[in-house]
Amino acid sequence: MEFSTVQQGLIQAPLDRKIFVSGPAGAGKTTAGVGRLQWLLANRVPAQSILVLTPQRTLAFPYDTARHMPQLRPGGTVNLATIGALARRMADLFWPLAAEEAGFTHPDTRPIFLTLETAQYFMARIVGPLVEEQGYFESIAIDRNRLYSQIIDNLNKAAVVGFAITDIAPRLKSAWVGEKAQLRIYDEAQDCAIRFRHYCLEHNLLDFSLQLEIFVKHLWTEPLCRNYLLEQYPNLIVDNLEEDTPVAHEILQDWLPHTTSALLIYDEGGGHRSFLGADPVSAATLASLCDERLHFSASFVVTEPINALAKALEKAISPQKATEGQGREKAAVTQGSSLRSALHYDLHRFHPEMLDWAADTIAELVHHKGVPPAEIAVLSPFLSDALRFAMSNRLEQRDIAVRSQRPSRALREEPAAQALLTLAALAHPEWGSCPSRHDVATTLTCVIEALDLVRAQLLTDILYRTKGSCPRLEPFAGLKTEVQQRITYLLGGRYEALRLWLEHYNEAPSTELDHCLSRLFGEILSQPGYRFHQDYHAARVAANLIESVQKFRWIAGALPGEKPPAQEYVELVRDGVMAAQYIRDWEADQADAVLLAPAFTFLMSNRPVEVQFWLNVGSAGWWERLYQPLTHPHVLSRHWQAGRLWLDSDEVAARQETLDRLTQGLLRRCRHALYLGLSELGEDGYEQQGALLMAIQRVLRENHGT
Amino acid sequence: MEFQPRSAQKAVLAYRGGKIGVAAVPGSGKTWTLSRLAADLIAEGYVGDDQEILVVTLVNSAVSNFASRVGSFVQEAGLLPNLGYRVRTLHGLCHDIVRERPALAGLANDFQIIDEREAEEVLRDAAEAWLRAHPQALDDYLLPDMDESKAGWIRREQLPPMVVSLATSFIKKAKDLQFTPAELRYYLDHFDMSLPLVEMGAEIYTDYQRALSYRGKVDFDDLIRLALQALQLDPEFLLRLRRRWPFILEDEAQDSSRLQESILRLLCGAEGNWVRVGDPNQAIYETFTTANPRYLHDFIEEKDVTGMNLPDSGRSTRSIIDLANQLSDWTQTSHPVTRVRGALSLPKIRAVPANDPQPNPQDAPERILLSLKRFTPQEEIEAVITSVSRWVATQAECTDVSERETCAILVPRNQRGFEIVEALKQQEIPYIELLRSTRSTRETAGALGNIIAYLADPTSTTKLATTYRVWRRQDRQNGELKAQLEWVNRQLHKCRQVEDFLWPRAGRDWLETLDLETEHPQIHTQLLEFRAQVQRWQAAANLPIDQLILTLAQDLCTEPADLAIAHKLALVVRRAANQHPEWRLPELTQELAVIARNERKFLGLSEDDTGFEPQKYRGQVVVSTVHKAKGLEWDRVYLMSVSTYDYPSALAGDSFISEKWYVRDKLNLEAEALAQLQALRDDPTLFFYDEGQPTQGARYDYAAERVRLFYVGITRAKKALVVTWNTGKRGDQHPAAPLIALETWWQEHLQSQEATSLDA
Repeated sequence: MEFSTVQQGLIQAPLDRKIFVSGPAGAGKTTAGVGRLQWLLANRVPAQSILVLTPQRTLAFPYDTARHMPQLRPGGTVNLATIGALARRMADLFWPLAAEEAGFTHPDTRPIFLTLETAQYFMARIVGPLVEEQGYFESIAIDRNRLYSQIIDNLNKAAVVGFAITDIAPRLKSAWVGEKAQLRIYDEAQDCAIRFRHYCLEHNLLDFSLQLEIFVKHLWTEPLCRNYLLEQYPNLIVDNLEEDTPVAHEILQDWLPHTTSALLIYDEGGGHRSFLGADPVSAATLASLCDERLHFSASFVVTEPINALAKALEKAISPQKATEGQGREKAAVTQGSSLRSALHYDLHRFHPEMLDWAADTIAELVHHKGVPPAEIAVLSPFLSDALRFAMSNRLEQRDIAVRSQRPSRALREEPAAQALLTLAALAHPEWGSCPSRHDVATTLTCVIEALDLVRAQLLTDILYRTKGSCPRLEPFAGLKTEVQQRITYLLGGRYEALRLWLEHYNEAPSTELDHCLSRLFGEILSQPGYRFHQDYHAARVAANLIESVQKFRWIAGALPGEKPPAQEYVELVRDGVMAAQYIRDWEADQADAVLLAPAFTFLMSNRPVEVQFWLNVGSAGWWERLYQPLTHPHVLSRHWQAGRLWLDSDEVAARQETLDRLTQGLLRRCRHALYLGLSELGEDGYEQQGALLMAIQRVLRENHGT
Repeated sequence: MEFQPRSAQKAVLAYRGGKIGVAAVPGSGKTWTLSRLAADLIAEGYVGDDQEILVVTLVNSAVSNFASRVGSFVQEAGLLPNLGYRVRTLHGLCHDIVRERPALAGLANDFQIIDEREAEEVLRDAAEAWLRAHPQALDDYLLPDMDESKAGWIRREQLPPMVVSLATSFIKKAKDLQFTPAELRYYLDHFDMSLPLVEMGAEIYTDYQRALSYRGKVDFDDLIRLALQALQLDPEFLLRLRRRWPFILEDEAQDSSRLQESILRLLCGAEGNWVRVGDPNQAIYETFTTANPRYLHDFIEEKDVTGMNLPDSGRSTRSIIDLANQLSDWTQTSHPVTRVRGALSLPKIRAVPANDPQPNPQDAPERILLSLKRFTPQEEIEAVITSVSRWVATQAECTDVSERETCAILVPRNQRGFEIVEALKQQEIPYIELLRSTRSTRETAGALGNIIAYLADPTSTTKLATTYRVWRRQDRQNGELKAQLEWVNRQLHKCRQVEDFLWPRAGRDWLETLDLETEHPQIHTQLLEFRAQVQRWQAAANLPIDQLILTLAQDLCTEPADLAIAHKLALVVRRAANQHPEWRLPELTQELAVIARNERKFLGLSEDDTGFEPQKYRGQVVVSTVHKAKGLEWDRVYLMSVSTYDYPSALAGDSFISEKWYVRDKLNLEAEALAQLQALRDDPTLFFYDEGQPTQGARYDYAAERVRLFYVGITRAKKALVVTWNTGKRGDQHPAAPLIALETWWQEHLQSQEATSLDA
């Protein structure tokens, strides 16, 4: 790869330099960071002595690719981590050093690390009865899963920003301008957080907040752990520093003087994760601890028209910010015609018409203009299932590969997972949980090769019994010959083998559901004659499900519950109480495909494209921050002045800032063209007149006729 | 047609600031005037880049009318249309306000508005739970001399629906008065008053709100209450919105409620710009809402408000205008119940001068029939259908469709409308329904529902045949194709084993047994296509419901609006599925069937929500309730069921739906409960409530609203009007008093006209 002179300067800097590099997105900072990593390795810096820290796993992707390049010398591996992962690793490794001091009731027993999913499960156990019996949160309208996740979010905010969990309610209450009666919900949220924390301490459960607190308060201050880290990783590369949290920055502040080399990369337009505690201000202070400060300003990505568009949009969104650099009036004249060449839009009345237009335009770009599908990103503020499905479908119909990137997707959405859970219920009649006829029929078609829905329904109607809440499949041989012929003996044989497996399994059932599913998958479903035999997607879903069940068993099974964890798991997933989400294999994405993603997720993958489509431009989602009645990213941030009220002007300023950052971030990652999908009525059938649309209108008006 | 304002309209269009109140008459072009005013203000630069003219109107259908009219002006400037103004119903506006700052209202940003049916279910559960817990709490209100078995029957059968209905109104009113359940409880606990009805309402209200909050939802009334609350709580937010909306234009202001007025008053501010246009004579939403024409009257009287009239109307013939004006005169001077005389007021309707660009149609008194003939309900339908058939036949003779007339049958209630539709169907008279939800929504929901019903029961030949009929539904329009469709339908019914058609084994293909390939190759190909289609749909049956609906819609719908409806249905049904994780295709089919069967108002993209245009249906009959017909006009109008049952006049013997026979003293418990609630809000320390007075008051209010409804019905007609009545199910009803009065006057009027012409 060819590097610019400034990049070369950074990459080949002496091996003991600590460098702080800043600049806008697209200026080649991460590319230089990867180059620096390779340079260090090529110059015999041991791979295992290098730690690459990013605020989020997806942002480490370029480093992950680089550390696995075949031309690298054999030896150890470069470590990639987030501060959270590091905290967890240290808490696990040095548990005995911290457990007692942190207040755990059983410091001599191993800790149990909670995932978001299992933390939510325990939160539900604690908060559920308070809601139902004591009228907690009565005065707000919020769905249960959101309620739990916001209490968890408050705990996490306290950990990443660095304040006591008992400060949550006082901080939120002091900023509240609404009805006074609402203040009690903050007290209730506080109470729930404290109860949850006590429960965790009592049962050795470590959610994210506790992992981080233990690391920051008890392990980082503990010489044994601290020296271990300082000695283990004398070389640090930190990318997207601005997206990390104040507590992470404090750790780095302590760490940097002890490193041999360091490279800190700071994206000037960043801070997109501020709702997760990101703090670009505290990130910037780390520059003073470095030997050298570099600034990359020229973009490798953005062409002039896009640049002009970015400037015009910035002016439309935040006029005060764009007034810097007076005397640009002359440039504006050329800017108008220039940005028009990069901006394309079409107005539609209905949402599906807009989707058709986007799909047709993409087909034109791919099939006739030679734009590679991977160079097209279709972005929307939110990506509902319906939108994802409708858009993917349209693109596939036009012979265009598509991949959708969403952070998570509920397992129960997957037909293969549904089928496995239905079979699990059939394998455990003692649970008394009877799948519906429809579930059984679709499960049979989903797993038995060549079985159609009509015959599956016929089999289910006759052979599926639920006597006394005890589900059971009867033998194929019990059917009349005429019906057997209708089903066909071939399909009947497959059905029978599955049925026998369930029957035999039930004679000596395994206590663990993950074992049951593994066996079912290995012994039957992956065999010839069954659909998972050649369906790799289904196999991956099965693997994910088994892993999820296993994790749940390890954690929930360790504590006493009313039902066996297996049954509880199946019921929780089925009832949607626990979404059973899993992270998709982000590195396994199909390479040459159009990307369909929420705008924020696209930013966090940090990869520029030739063409972007912004759908639902009129949606208010581009502008509005995520409202969470029980928490508040700004009020719970380090920069919020205690006792100040959160007023409408704060709200507007925060939104403008978000919209500005988001649109600038996106345009910095767009090379040639921006297509705007506009529909008068949104997905829900409501009119859309959001702030982004108004800003675009201003851009058009100002550049009209130029 | 180019807009040429009349002099009264010009006066309104000259407006550039301040507050004005305009009293308009039917057909005076107030929507035209108001949209033109909005466009003028935008064109002349009265709104900045980040500002909008806020137009508030009553129903969704008007939103789109306004938007398209104003939009065309903006587009000419090479800009994106739909900016510079915002047209909203009150609910839409409140949704925008709450959506902007949900935290102020204690909501998450993806808060949902509860579906009407789900809200009804929740309320019913809460009401029934209350009744179970307090089986005798309402005994004091029952007739005292009833024997125990009858009282038991009433408690079991009659009270539950009555309590649900009472609780619905109670909660609505409580929200309008901005009572929270906790506040009501406080009053009940701290003031020593025995108020069993408020006690009951408060308990059900508490339960209902708890259930909504558990679901993370709010209802439509909450939306309004919370919007006002948000504006009151954060002055900065209010100022920002005032800046954004420097002009407020309010249409249908006669149907404004207390909260609507409070919200708009806040948004406008003391020095703001606010135009309120309405026709107090067309206020017909009081019974269902907390609306009241008094608010518009009072506004016009305020000292900083300029009052104006829009009295000129080119809509109807002179005879129809005379009838409407006579109804107004009679009501004001001669209505037998003095308290109802204020129901209608000035200005009177004025015909436009002959040189007006939109003159009144030529007068044709012979096309007016006010019938006092005694019909049973069935006879009334038959008489109207006979007349309509004749009209349809004459229209069919007119080869140029644009020359044909428009026609509507207007009824007071949906149920009556369904009966009419049935009769039209039987007579094969072309009709358009404008009842609860519109045909396009129902057809789309119905088509999808039928196919999903088949996928839930894939071995059923009947459902497979229905699926075929849905798939080829456009063939029904063509005689030959229709016959073919019926033939295939019959064959599919005969197919004993569905798999032999859809997934045949070798040598067992049912399609081959029909021998169509040589005889009817077209049908053969079509059935092959159908088979492939159903195979694909079956493969999709295990997808999440929203994805299944979208998959089906792609294959079934071609019209953009239908696809948009399908997309919205996908979201709605998906939400239902999330709410009820145990639901599978059969239950979800029910959900779609409910929408399809008209049981639920389905907010969204249906035609009534995007503007109904009567002139699109020339030569056909539109069936509508009088309420839904507001704002519309037809050449010929049938106004049915104008009897004492649907149009009572508060006279002795008139029946009132809200007064139950088993309640003592003929009390209207709903009215009594609401009056108690109002008294609590007025001043709990000086609580003033006189039992029985609210019942009487409710009669007057209802009678007044019904006179206005009659007025609205009459003024829908441009050239011809037929008014009929029926004796009701029990045969004990009479023609409504205003109908008798009008008929009498009309006969005299005709005679005097004849006399005049003879004299001449």
